[in-house]
Amino acid sequence: MWAYDFMQNAVLAGIIVATICGVVSVFVVIRRSAFAAHALSHMSLTGATLGMLLGFSAISGQLFVNLIAALTMGFLGDKIKKNDLAIGVVLTFVLGLGAYFLFLFQNNYSGGVLNILFGNILAVSKEQIYLLTGLSIGILLILTICARPLLFASIDPTLAEAKNLPIRFLSIVFFCIIAVTVSMACQIVGALLIFVLLIIPGAIAGLWCDGFYKTILVSVLVANISVFISLCIAYQFNLPTSFCITTLMSLIYAISHIKNQVLKL
Amino acid sequence: MIECRNLVLGYKHKPISKPFNLTLPNNKWFGIIGENGCGKSTFMKTILGNLKPVAGELQIFGKKPGNSNNSIAYIPQEREINTSEYTSGLTLIELSYNGWHFGIPFLNSNTKKKALDLLDLVGATKYMHRPFTTLSGGQKKRIYLAQALINQPKLLLLDEPLADLDPEAKQHFIEALNKIHKQHELTLLIISHDMHQIAMDLDGYIHFKHTQVHFCQELPCIREGAYVGI
Repeated sequence: MWAYDFMQNAVLAGIIVATICGVVSVFVVIRRSAFAAHALSHMSLTGATLGMLLGFSAISGQLFVNLIAALTMGFLGDKIKKNDLAIGVVLTFVLGLGAYFLFLFQNNYSGGVLNILFGNILAVSKEQIYLLTGLSIGILLILTICARPLLFASIDPTLAEAKNLPIRFLSIVFFCIIAVTVSMACQIVGALLIFVLLIIPGAIAGLWCDGFYKTILVSVLVANISVFISLCIAYQFNLPTSFCITTLMSLIYAISHIKNQVLKL
Repeated sequence: MIECRNLVLGYKHKPISKPFNLTLPNNKWFGIIGENGCGKSTFMKTILGNLKPVAGELQIFGKKPGNSNNSIAYIPQEREINTSEYTSGLTLIELSYNGWHFGIPFLNSNTKKKALDLLDLVGATKYMHRPFTTLSGGQKKRIYLAQALINQPKLLLLDEPLADLDPEAKQHFIEALNKIHKQHELTLLIISHDMHQIAMDLDGYIHFKHTQVHFCQELPCIREGAYVGI
């Protein structure tokens, strides 16, 4: 099956997206930013329809809308714990826009929208892989620069605020990182199932190990192995890839959780 | 040195104290006493630069508040810690080491040794690898002490560290403080309602009474029990 170009592209895209999501999900879990990830993933539907409506690619529309939404969420919100309302307000407004764009975008409605909602890793092109690589390098660079204050502000927000850390700035940077990651991951698992890559790898790693670097490593490995195995299963049994990824990762999370509960007994 | 010149404490231009003068020399330990809501925590937040003085001047080590926060360690009264299930006390210290610097979190061998020494000093070595979420309140407070000292502060602010601790945990915490007093050169400001338990180790008291703030070198009324259980 590796002789096919589309499978080679799918594996490459899978590795890139799984690696970035593995890293970002550790921060999402520590910062308790699941709702932000959820909101931005749903908003990427609006972005994708806008992009296609204007004749651009879906991912460029997603990047545009998600980054504006991330900046707005960051500016409207206050500290880490007080962002939910700001996120909710931005989410409803942008989703409303999405409904309008879908109304305008009635031609080619079903195929395009289904790909955005559930992803289609087998349709990833070489150009998209170059774009995904560039965006990944950008995210990793920003995370390398901001990791320390971002973690400090996430783990110990009271002290970070007392130390006069730029909490709002860090929050905006992090929302932008999620916005770009969501736009990338949409190509693989789609807007509806993005949670699986943005939360579960970090959550699984947190159930197995201690230490920042170990957690990142385990999270990246879990995400990569899951995506790779899912691709193989999807190809062999002619199943949707996103379904395989969500099922496999949920299974790993359930096993990890049960292991922890049993060890506590 | 902490210098207050006609300092008026307050929130958003609303004063809660009358002007007061205070000079606190380096490497001395001071207790802050007074009734609830009279401005003790506000004083600490003003020192940190989180709140602006309503009037007057405050200098911390010759700088304005907020400009010397790298030299100040602070253990707040209420604190939210977000860790994953397996994050240990040692990892918490590792991740907060110079947490305000850009870059990736990294402890070199010297800093790691210092973290282990501090954990030993506060008596937290035996549970430093245990998940932080499973520790008792007293154990967490000792980890916080080690975490506060890892960045080599010149000033340590403790806001009611003994609150919510049972007598045994209080005793352990005070023992850890005594060891720090002997081994580390730093200025300490501690707010506590159990001041009688640590009175022997303090060099003076800042007394907040209604809107007045004044300094007492010796506070005999504490030993007479006047402030016990405020």
